[in-house]
Amino acid sequence: MVAEISTGLIALGSGLAIGLSAIAAAIAEKEIGAAAVGAMAEKEELFGKGLILTVIPETLVIFGLVVAILILNLAK
Amino acid sequence: MLRPHQMSSVIITCPNGIMEEVIKELHNLKILHIVDYSKNELADIGKPLENASRLSELLVRARALMAALNIKKGDAKFELKRGLLEIDSTMRRLSDGVGLKIDELKNIDEQLSKKQAARQELEILKDVKLPLENFASYRALSYFAGYVKDNSFLRQEMLKVTDKLMLFESVVKKRHFIVLFVDSKKGEKTIEALNGAGFSPVNFTSISGLKGSAAANLNGITDEIEGLQHRKKAIKKELEKLAKEHEGFLIAADQFLSEQLDKAEAPLKFAATQSSFLIKGWIPTEELSKSIEKVNKAAKNRIFVHFEPAKKDDKVPVKLKNPKFAKPFEFFIDLYSMPAYGEIDPTFFVFLTFPIFFGIMLGDVGYGALSLLLFLMLKRKMPKAKNFFNILILASFVTILFGFFFGEFFGKEFIHPIISREHEMFTLMYMAIGIGIAHVNIGLIVGFVNELKMHGIMHAIYAKASWVILEAGIALLALNYFKIISLSPLVGAIFLAISMLMLIKGEGFIAPIEVLGLLSNMLSYVRLMAIGLSSVILAVIINDSAKEFFRQGGFFVLIGILILLIGHAINIMLGLLGSFLHSLRLHYVEFFSKFFHGGAEKYQPFGAREE
Repeated sequence: MVAEISTGLIALGSGLAIGLSAIAAAIAEKEIGAAAVGAMAEKEELFGKGLILTVIPETLVIFGLVVAILILNLAK
Repeated sequence: MLRPHQMSSVIITCPNGIMEEVIKELHNLKILHIVDYSKNELADIGKPLENASRLSELLVRARALMAALNIKKGDAKFELKRGLLEIDSTMRRLSDGVGLKIDELKNIDEQLSKKQAARQELEILKDVKLPLENFASYRALSYFAGYVKDNSFLRQEMLKVTDKLMLFESVVKKRHFIVLFVDSKKGEKTIEALNGAGFSPVNFTSISGLKGSAAANLNGITDEIEGLQHRKKAIKKELEKLAKEHEGFLIAADQFLSEQLDKAEAPLKFAATQSSFLIKGWIPTEELSKSIEKVNKAAKNRIFVHFEPAKKDDKVPVKLKNPKFAKPFEFFIDLYSMPAYGEIDPTFFVFLTFPIFFGIMLGDVGYGALSLLLFLMLKRKMPKAKNFFNILILASFVTILFGFFFGEFFGKEFIHPIISREHEMFTLMYMAIGIGIAHVNIGLIVGFVNELKMHGIMHAIYAKASWVILEAGIALLALNYFKIISLSPLVGAIFLAISMLMLIKGEGFIAPIEVLGLLSNMLSYVRLMAIGLSSVILAVIINDSAKEFFRQGGFFVLIGILILLIGHAINIMLGLLGSFLHSLRLHYVEFFSKFFHGGAEKYQPFGAREE
């Protein structure tokens, strides 16, 4: 199977798009999650709010995914 | 269905003499949500009933016993025949016995840890021919005991320092162990020499007081440890026996005492004067007249009850009202926050969309059927979390339906799909965004209704309808851009400008920034497709790699089966977790933020046990 180098670059670009955005989301979620667990230890009712705040940065990955798919589409 | 129960505020005033009767009746009715009275210059809070301190003391003892005997709260199958007297006498008997045993257990544990430490030290000294009493403190003599890395030159080195020395050597677990006695005046030089040999000291603190050779002591101490462990096991067995015998009694006692204590401490929530007291609280309006009648009867008509419907600024406790099939989904609202009184209760919307979102994300006949079985089983095992599992059972069922829609069975296309998740990514992505737009707009409509009720029509239009106009503006511009309709872009721009102005009026200057938020909210629904895609692709990879092994035949078939089992098990776990959390998140973050205020207290009637 011989792939053209341009196809490889497209794959690389799309991988970077999702990988980097996932790292960004992870960094954001790490801090929020730690704080949320701390708050929950004090007050258990905050679970709902904590969960929401923790998952907010996940949208970053979704954007990354959209971009990755758009880039992948170039290969067709 | 969409609104919580109507509530009425109730104030009961009665003379002190019938306090117990009133409390007892209220506790029985389980209907009044009592509002704690805070002390001020008008009136003090009430004093607890006389038996409160005795009850709480008994309760503490009962809980201590339960902790000591490792008994968990549960359903009591035990009948208390003589109430407090029985509890008191039985518990007194029990705590004497248990207390002695627990003390002995502690004692044994202490001794055990001492002996075990001593045994460790003796193991090291086992081969050193030196009576243990020599490990004492001397005036003119120092001793060093420990491991050295290299013992080959130590003796020569030490002879250079002094010739008055005794050196014992042995090998413990492949390391060189030495004990060295020298003149304490030569201490510093000795340390230098030892450091050269890579010396790390070992302290012998646990063997002080022992005499004779280490080997002899070691045998003795091992026997002693065994004896202690034997005794410990016996005591534990006795405690277990006691626990089994009295489990029912203790659980019942705990329940009985907590209830009695609840009643006895209730006056702390009341306002009290010299001769009367006053209870403020909330009762669902539909139960109002019936319950007032009952309390009146119990108090022989000696009380005065004032009631009125909830007013606008009251802090009303909220009791959700939903049809039976949507009831389990109240769990999600409870987890988040109770809707404010007068606000729309989103339970029904969550009931409609949560299983669908879950189903789209997991969307596999095989996975759905397996999780359905799993949750049916778990529901039977844990009846306490019934609501939670009912939600998941419904969601699993919808998963199977979407499995047919996507034509997937454990990642394999078994029928021709209506939309293939593996190959028609884009169709599904657009579908997901479409669902998102619809869902967010439903949220805006609910928000409109909420604002209408709370702040009137103008505010509702400015704050919520403006978003819809904004969306229309963006849509017009986009359609124009893609040349689907031919309309001057000015029209779209005017829509945008109007909506911006309305937003600033309705929600303040910060609102235009939220426009980006709206966009990201809608795009966020792409996860409906994304989570599903990752789950399918993982399943396909698992199937393909297993197929490779099957092709090779023989022993490899076993490995293939193993890959299938483990792989799909992991994928189901990931899929369930992801689908659940993301579906929940879409509701909490994207949907609720369009209308939900929340923050109300949950309706918890006096006397009802917490679930």
